[in-house]
This record gives sequence, structure tokens and C-alpha cells, in this order.
Amino acid sequence: MNRSPAHRSDRAFAALACLSLVLGPLAARGQERASPLWFQGTRLIFSHAVPLADDLAVPTRDPGMRHFLERLGATVSYDPQQRYVVVTSEDRRSIVFTLGDPTYAIGGVRARAPFAPRADGDDVDLPFFTLARALYVEPLVDGGETVLQPRIGALDVRTDGPHTSVSVTGAMPLVTDGQHDSPERLQLAFVGQGSALGPLRDALGPAVSTIDVAVGGTARVPTTTLTIAGTPGSTHRIVSGPAPDTLIIVFDAPSSGAVAVARTPPTPPPLPAEVGPIGSALTPPPSAEPGPTAAPPIVAGRATVTDLEIAPGADDALSVQVTLSGAVPYTWHRLPDHRWYVDLAEATLTGPGREEHPSFGAVQSVRVAQIGGDDAPAVRIAFTMSADQQVDLAPSASGLTITVSTAPATDLLRAGSGQTGGAPLVASSVMPGPEPTPSAPSGPGSRIIVIDPGHGGDDHGTEHNGLSEKAITLDIADRLRALLLAQGWNVRMTRETDVDPVTAANLARMRADGVANPTDRAYLQTRCDVANDVNARLFISIHVNSAPISSARGTTFYWYKPQDLPFAQALEKSVIPAAATQDDGTRHENFYVIRHTTMPAVLIETAFITNLEDVGLLRQPAFLQRLAQGIANGVKAYAGSPAANAVSQQQ
Amino acid sequence: MVLIALFIVAVGAAWWATHRQAPAVGDSIVVYSTKVDGTTLLPWRVSLGSARDRSSVAFYAATQCVAGPPPSVDAVRFPAGTHVRAVDVEGTTADVDLSPEVDASAAGGFAEAAEFKALVWTLTQPQLGIDAVRVRIGGARVATLPGGHLELDEPLSRASF
Repeated sequence: MNRSPAHRSDRAFAALACLSLVLGPLAARGQERASPLWFQGTRLIFSHAVPLADDLAVPTRDPGMRHFLERLGATVSYDPQQRYVVVTSEDRRSIVFTLGDPTYAIGGVRARAPFAPRADGDDVDLPFFTLARALYVEPLVDGGETVLQPRIGALDVRTDGPHTSVSVTGAMPLVTDGQHDSPERLQLAFVGQGSALGPLRDALGPAVSTIDVAVGGTARVPTTTLTIAGTPGSTHRIVSGPAPDTLIIVFDAPSSGAVAVARTPPTPPPLPAEVGPIGSALTPPPSAEPGPTAAPPIVAGRATVTDLEIAPGADDALSVQVTLSGAVPYTWHRLPDHRWYVDLAEATLTGPGREEHPSFGAVQSVRVAQIGGDDAPAVRIAFTMSADQQVDLAPSASGLTITVSTAPATDLLRAGSGQTGGAPLVASSVMPGPEPTPSAPSGPGSRIIVIDPGHGGDDHGTEHNGLSEKAITLDIADRLRALLLAQGWNVRMTRETDVDPVTAANLARMRADGVANPTDRAYLQTRCDVANDVNARLFISIHVNSAPISSARGTTFYWYKPQDLPFAQALEKSVIPAAATQDDGTRHENFYVIRHTTMPAVLIETAFITNLEDVGLLRQPAFLQRLAQGIANGVKAYAGSPAANAVSQQQ
Repeated sequence: MVLIALFIVAVGAAWWATHRQAPAVGDSIVVYSTKVDGTTLLPWRVSLGSARDRSSVAFYAATQCVAGPPPSVDAVRFPAGTHVRAVDVEGTTADVDLSPEVDASAAGGFAEAAEFKALVWTLTQPQLGIDAVRVRIGGARVATLPGGHLELDEPLSRASF
């Protein structure tokens, strides 16, 4: 059969077209190779990447994409049956892409990508550079190559009364290269992370004057220096954030009671070599100078350690009983690598130090050493643990009891301080009880009450009229803790700072079980586990209510299990007279934390943040104290005192 | 004449019988909302229009519930923009897919409890033969609303409230 030249020309054109269709993407992929991507000192290699509209289309399961996300601690979830691709950063920000839609959302804020994510088999192509920027990684051209530079991406300043919290969030875990510290000024250098953030000068609250951000180094090895200048007389403390890539620095104005707290130790004992360098950790050493307003109720002279007993505790815990000849202040620190230590200031050992490797418990080693000079002696007790485990401190008139349990740490603060000798605890993220925790019986006779301050961290709860639920619930919880401790209860809190607590185990388990939306459930379950794991006597969840109608007001006591109801009724009878709020009664609701706790549990919605009358109350510290007192009275009415309770159980 | 009369009677009887049984769920349905006290239910009856099969009626009832009662009625309402994306009925369980705007009701236990109580009571009225309601938000199962209190990843029933 003859073919005309025109026909041959058409066939050739068609063949070329087909060839271009096949080779086009390959050529495009080759462009990616022509401009290599570097991240953290190594080349990032994608198996399937296609340049597209000033971005790079990369499947979520591409090995290069996976490596990139893993380095950032981010996770991606995509179900081919759904339209959404959710990337969650280490600090729990969600970046949500929608198939076929170029708009995407970062933490609820909508933005536009150069192209819409597209399905590719059972995977989906995402705009890689857009995603990187959302994760605080900036693509920079350097010498003909593209460098993916991690950055300090957020600087959040919040004021709560005399406290100003500065939250720093980076793309990667924050590692400081030395810090220069004085009570009123903090300078931190973050190596390996750049920044495009500018200085902050205004509206920084009563404790902070300025925040400066300076970037040095190169595109590949940047350094960001953060300098925070406090107001005259202010002091500061560093606490860990909800994730390793977040650091929170709290500055306290001079009138704050916490000022005395942060500067309680009169002299900073240096860190011995065996405890490890702290310059790269997020925990600052104690200040060299007492704060200008440091006037803690401490009358501490020098004391000697007359006895130190290391013994097994209940449930495979380890207990260290320190007996002192006098009262001393102490500070404790949790280091990032499963180490924890407490320094007893102005204390001396009567003999040489010691190091033990107990054959029981979750502690690998215990070291006791004399540190500091003659002018500032201190005794350091340091633990190396197999994980970040719960450490409880119980000061008493005769000294201090330290208990390391096998439970995961719930005290996310990395440092705290206190005092032995029976004086009130001035500050710590631990809950000293009248008795060491391990000796507490479990179940109905348990001496442990768990307080759950609702929300925290990214979960602000309800916010209206200038008030934030998560701050109020923590305030009430702190007050309630003090009252329950005074009653003789051992108290644990599901959170003690502005975080939304979660354990890695819960996150992993929820994901392994295939439970939908595992993150939310894991976070809620963690709160329940704090109580369930110790078989607490009671669980009290504190919240602030909100309603779409401003007339709704009052206090509500929510219960779920039948065993909750008598406790809810007892709280209602005591809280309403104490707080003088409208009694909205007890209500049966399917709320997670009261459903999944195994002991009597009540969720108290204390007042409505949407009602002006209730808001007026919520603004008053005296009202928050009355609420706490009412709850404490209700606990006493329902459960009696812990001592009497224990006796009744024995009988 | 008699035959004609019998024929008319037979046709009439047949029409009456078929039209009496066709709307298996009736011509109207009860939709609940929750009063501003957050717990008392307020029933109101709406016409079904063309909806007749169980899934369609369930979708219609859920949509009416989420839309809320007339503006003059004081009730706890779903957040503005919330709508029902789909309702699937399987056996005695309804699977309701709500739009993400409902997330805004998570602040405080009051609103979310009131809203979902109304929705569950609406869908579990006897004539629908539904006794449990599963909830999705934006097509996804959720443990709770973001920052919310009410457990949503297990079916809700009237006993849940």
C-alpha cells in the first residue's frame, strides 16, 4: 500500500509528539538534577520530581520527600479515598492540601500554591517548595545550587499578667550554641537555622522591652541570634515547648512572684563534666546573680547531707531519700538526653561522692557529687534514665525524697526549684505531696488526684472578651493543686505549662491501630492515661464554657459514667455556694476525658466566657480562688481526707 | 351503570390504598433544636416535600436540623456555614458528614453538646428506624472536634446525652 509524503509527514509528526509526551517529563525530571537540592549538608534526591509552575511536583511517597519530612519531624497522611492531604509539622501545625485545588491551609490560614495537588495512582503530587516554606524551610539559590535552609519561622509573644512568654519555633529542633545570660537579657544563638523575622519593639508586655533577630553565617550554615531584653528588674526562665523545635522563654516582671522563684538558688554551681554540657541544651544554668527582687521565704543556711538512701520503690520505681541537717533551696533540671539532676544549694557531703548502678528500677545510674567551691558548695544528685521518665520531688522537714518512676514524664518544664525544710514550695513543675508517690495505694484508696487543665498549647480552647480558656484553666488548676496538697492529697496535673500533652507512645499506638484522626485522640487519651496509669482516686477536668448566645452563663458539672454522678453532685453542692455562679446543674455528656478515665471523673465548665457577667468574674483572681476552693471542698465532701480514706480502705 | 360505579369505587380504593402507604415515613418529620439552656429540646415539624426514601428523609431532616429553626426562635444553632454534606443510612446507623464549619462550635462543651444532641435526636426519631449516628467532618472521622470535648469517633445515640 502506497503512502503519500503528506501521510508520512503526519506519521512522523505523530511519532514526535508521542516521543515528546514520553520524554517530556523525563527531560523535566532532568532539570531537577541540573539544579541539585541540598538539605542539611546532603543532597536531596527525588525519584519522581517534575518542575511545574515555579515549583516542584513531588509525590508524598517519594524517598526524597520522605527523607525531607522525617528530618523535620513532619508526617503526611493521605487516603486515596479522600481529597485531602494533611502534613503535620513537629510543632503540630497542619498544612492541608486539597486535590484539584491550588489553595491550601496552614493552621487554618488559606494560601495559594503555584499548582493544585494532583492524584498520581494511589499517591499524590504536592508542590514541594510550597510545602517546604510552610515547614519553615526556605529554598535559596547558592552557587548554582538550591539550598533548603531551615529557618526560625515563628516568634510568638504572649502576655499573661506580669509574665511575657516568647515562643520561638524553628524548622528543626532548636540547638543553641552558647547563650549569654543576665537576669534582664538573654541572647541565644541557633546554629543551622536562618530567619527572615524582624525585630519586635512594641507591645511586648510588661516584662520584655525588645526582641532582636540577627542572622549570620552562610546560606548553608546560617546562625540566628535572638536577643531578648527584659524590662528593668525582670528575670527569665526557659521552658521546653510542645516539641523540640519550639522553645519558650518566660520573662517575669519584677512584681511577679515567679521572680523569686527563678532566682532562688543563691549561687550557680557549675556543671561537672559527668553531667554533660548544657550549652547545647535548652536549659539555662541557674543565674549567677540573685534577682533584684529575690525575696523568697527561705531562711537557708548551710546544711550537710547526713544520710542518703537509694532504695527500690513501688512499681519498679527508684527512690532516693536525702536527709539534711537544715533547710536548703534546690533547683532541678531535665536534660534532653534522658538525664535529670537536682542541685542542693549550700549543702555539703560528709563523705566522698558516690555512683551507683542500681539493678532495679528504670534508672541506669545515680551519681552524688559535691560541686561548687567553698564559697558556694552544692550537692548534685544526677540520674541517667532509659527514657524521659517521671521524677517526683517531695521536700519535707528532714530533707528531700526523689522518686524516679517508670511512667513517662508529664512535667514538660525542664527546670524547677524549691526548698527543703517544710517551707512552701516556691516553684517547680513537680507536685510534692505529703507522702512519696510510690507508696500511694491505688484504686479507691489512692492518695492521688489528677487535675486536668483543659486545652493548652495550640489548642487554645475558647477565646472571647480578651480571655483565653487555656490560661484560665491552668490558673484554676494551680490554685486547686495547692489546696488539695494542703488536704494531704498527692496531686498530678495533665499539664503544668502551656502545652497540649501527648506521649509518643499514644501517638504511635493510635496510628498503629488505624484510628482516624489519631492526633486528636492521642492527645485526649494522654490526659486520661495520666490518671489511669496511677489508678488515681479522682479525675477533675477544668474548662471554661462558651455559647453562641450571650445569655448562657453559670457552672456545669459534666459526668458520663454512673460512678461520676455522686462526685459531680458533691462538687455542685460545694462549688456553687463558694463561687456564687448560676447553678447549671449536673449533665450527662459523652465527653472524651470523663468517658475514658476509669475513676470517678467530672468535667467542670466553670463559667461562660461569652457572658459578660461571667467574664467579669473570670477576670478576678479572687473568683478563680473561690472556684478552686469550692472544688477542693467538694473533693473533701466526696472522698474525705486521704488519710481517713486510706484507713477506711484498710478496714 | 353499576359496573361503572363499581369501577370507580375500585379505582378509588386502589388509589387510596397506594397513596396511604407510599410515604412510609409520613408527610412531615420532627426536627429538634436545643433551647438556649443547652439541654431542653425544642421539637418542630417540617414538611417532607419530595423526600420519601429513608436516606433522603434522613438527609432532609439532618439538613433542617443543622439549618436550625426560624430566626425568631431562641435556640443553640450550628455555626454559620455548617451544612450536611451527606447522610448514609445502613441498618440502624446513620453516617452524617458535616462540613468543616462545624469545628467552630468546639469552643466550650455547651454548644457542641447542644448541637449534636439536636442532630442525634432528629435522626433517631422512631419513624426513621435509626438508633445511632456516626459523624464525619469534611469527610473524615474525628475523635472530637478540634479542641472539642464530645467523642465523635463512636456512634452517638440518645443515651449519649
